[in-house]
Amino acid sequence: MTPTTAAAPARRAPFAERVRQRAFANGARVYVLENRMNPTLAISGSLQAGRLYAPEDRRLIASITAGELMKGTARRTKLELAEALESRAASLSFSSDASDPVGVDIAGAALSRDTDLLLEILTEVLVSPSFPDEELQKEKKRLVGSIRQQQDQTSARAFEEAMRRVYPAEHPLHRLTGEQRIARVEALRREDLEGYYGARWGAGSLALVIVGDVEAERILDLLEKALGSWRPGPAPAIPAVAVPPPSPCREIVAMPDKASADVVLAQPSDLKRTDDDFLACSLANSALGQSSLTSRLGVRVRDTEGLTYGIHSSLGATHVPGPVVVSLTVKPDSRDAALASTLDEVRNFLKTGLTEKEITEEKSSRIGRFKVDLGSNSGMASALDAAIYYGFGIAYLDEFPAKVAAVTKEQADTAFARRVRPEDFTIVSAGTLEPATQGAAGTAAIET
Amino acid sequence: MSREPEAITAILKPQSKIQDPFEFVEERAGIREFRVRSNGLRVLLIQNRVAPVLTFAIVYHVGSRNEAVGHTGATHLLEHLMFKGTPEFQRAKGTAVASVLEALGARFNATTWFDRTNYYETIPSDQFEVALRIESSRMRRALLRDEDRVPEMTVVRNEFERGENSPFQVLYKHTFATAFREHPYHHPTIGWRSDIEEVTTERLREFYDTFYHPNNATAMVIGDFEEDAALERIAAHFAPIPASPQPIPRVYTVEPPQEGERRFVVRRVGQVGWCALSWRTVEAVHADTPALAVLGNILGGGITSRLHQSLVEKNLALSVSVVPWQLRDPALFSVFAPVRPGVELSEVESVIRQEIARIAADAVTEAECAKAQTQIEAEVIFDRDSTDQIAASLSEAIAVADWKWYAEYPAAIGRVTPEDVRRVVLTYLHDDALTVGLYVPKPGQSEIVEEEKAP
Repeated sequence: MTPTTAAAPARRAPFAERVRQRAFANGARVYVLENRMNPTLAISGSLQAGRLYAPEDRRLIASITAGELMKGTARRTKLELAEALESRAASLSFSSDASDPVGVDIAGAALSRDTDLLLEILTEVLVSPSFPDEELQKEKKRLVGSIRQQQDQTSARAFEEAMRRVYPAEHPLHRLTGEQRIARVEALRREDLEGYYGARWGAGSLALVIVGDVEAERILDLLEKALGSWRPGPAPAIPAVAVPPPSPCREIVAMPDKASADVVLAQPSDLKRTDDDFLACSLANSALGQSSLTSRLGVRVRDTEGLTYGIHSSLGATHVPGPVVVSLTVKPDSRDAALASTLDEVRNFLKTGLTEKEITEEKSSRIGRFKVDLGSNSGMASALDAAIYYGFGIAYLDEFPAKVAAVTKEQADTAFARRVRPEDFTIVSAGTLEPATQGAAGTAAIET
Repeated sequence: MSREPEAITAILKPQSKIQDPFEFVEERAGIREFRVRSNGLRVLLIQNRVAPVLTFAIVYHVGSRNEAVGHTGATHLLEHLMFKGTPEFQRAKGTAVASVLEALGARFNATTWFDRTNYYETIPSDQFEVALRIESSRMRRALLRDEDRVPEMTVVRNEFERGENSPFQVLYKHTFATAFREHPYHHPTIGWRSDIEEVTTERLREFYDTFYHPNNATAMVIGDFEEDAALERIAAHFAPIPASPQPIPRVYTVEPPQEGERRFVVRRVGQVGWCALSWRTVEAVHADTPALAVLGNILGGGITSRLHQSLVEKNLALSVSVVPWQLRDPALFSVFAPVRPGVELSEVESVIRQEIARIAADAVTEAECAKAQTQIEAEVIFDRDSTDQIAASLSEAIAVADWKWYAEYPAAIGRVTPEDVRRVVLTYLHDDALTVGLYVPKPGQSEIVEEEKAP
């Protein structure tokens, strides 16, 4: 049945043994995994400088500071940095996504012959960004245009409005309206970025993972020399974030000329990525709606009823408790039917819990996918980075299959039921839609 | 001792007993090609033992290029129905294709494009057999039931509607429909809405029976496997399938030369306009394809590229994408740019034309050419990082040319000179071969309406 088993490479040593690591005196932690199969390397890293640490009325400083890091250093202009990387087919980026209020993501890749170049630019940009005003002025104009572009998209509008309603203004997951964001962008000054960089960026919370065709000890030495004397900055610390009570309501963002509508159902939850029952909860979520083809929601709303091309449920848990979100796209005149089926299926799922077949399949799926995702340098770098970012440690990668296997149906059911109540959803539909007649959106209308 | 006997042994290896069902065709750049003697199925093997994972993929040489009015989108709708089942794999038995693959943790999907349809699964390598059973079952035993097509049609229609929400997709569809009037690249892979809604199950079955045969397919295994064992299992599943009873119909429609600039405008409510310029070019196997790829990179590959500098850095456009389409028949060279609100679309169009004229007049530098070559060559190396990336690149190559084209592509790119780049600009990027598309935002307000407040 499995003819290739015999040919599989010899069993590898555990990650915990293969990953070389070093903590520098200033707090920076570096992890290197040698993988000589392909002459490339991948970098994945993080630093605690996300929007959670920015002033409440100017959260976007965090993402713009991260993005502007590549716009110039004490030694090089933006164009010189880009020329150095692009002429060698290398890449490097810093970003801070609003869905993870804590972290800044660092991502890089190069052919291994350009390892030193990539590390040199990475450290130069981390330690001595210059935030040129001319670049910020250009970026502000581009950002205003990009926000206007997003305002034309039904998916962005539905999600933005749902997050605006679910989380109060002071919460780091609250989203401003497009016009509010444009006003914030226009008010930004160079000093804001420089100030935020000075206050939040430093070695104290920096973790870097490098995987690929490299010599671990040499990389650790090289980085210690380049980053070992960088200022420590703030020590890692994640302030507690309150979970707001649910604020269920139904809204339409009416947008003319849209052939497809987006529906987002969201509610706050107290689930964090670091919670003991996160894995159990996430297996339950996968059974409910991870796949448009095989999950409960997918089988009912897409496969059986044909009401959507894509339907997903997701958990927004990070270091900060995040929302439970179900999203789908629909033909505008099928919206009521699709929404009714979606809510009905969530209720059924909560009533019955997972079947034994579902929990077995979700567990084997999660373990198999974990192996498949570790099939590349960038995949290994991301998995290691996540394990370190959430404080699980390297051994988490070795223990993961057993941890998944140990989850029981009861644990999954309990973890999910504790966090999701169908009546707590804030429901936002964006597209060329008319408001439902009173109560109609809750009934199981059938499209003919 | 002479090394010769060993070399001969290596050449003879493919003749070993286990490979009897196969004819060994050729090896190049780590890719070994075999052909199933009984039915013409081509099989490509690439060992890549980065991880205990492999990708199995099948490319059928059928895409929207093989469709005509009335059944546009049929290839794509059929691809969707291939997930609805076969006698062995179906939801009623708890063995739906997607469920079986999902339970393995597979990364899997299928996609349809102008020249091909592909099915692929990346799986733990000890699960190879499952992928073989699914794909051999789908090759000739798809159920294609009307009760499956009806709900799937509305799924696909929503996919079409999602595309209509995207200015980029609207522009690309209009561009092909305008630049190609006779050749089937005229219609989009997703199909026209009314064809998606009206095409019958019988018509889809006819399509399936015409094109889904081993002699119209290429299978590939990439990753962690042992060759003899892999070939033996492929033979067990695929060799019994007969070749098509009729020859696979060929597409013979040729788009005549374009004799003047064409323009179109789409007006919809929104805030951001787009500009798209596309020139008629050549088929992928044409000798000028590598120079057009290098040109694409010089114009749009990264921050240092010419159009990024003249459009994005000047705050005229929000971004710019350059697409040197590589298809089986002559295709296009396209530039797409969302225009920053407040800037005239005509200004962006004029800057794009000026940048093309500048290359026609002054050529590009050696450094620009070298950077583009490094980036394109490096992509091939980055691809090798994961088996599904290799499968994706190789599938596209097979669809538009063949695997040797993929194997030789980096070297062909390496031979491009700055003069070649200028020459292809002069040859192809002239006004008579140009289609200009403008997506013009119409004024209109969105508003937030409260539907219902919870009690």
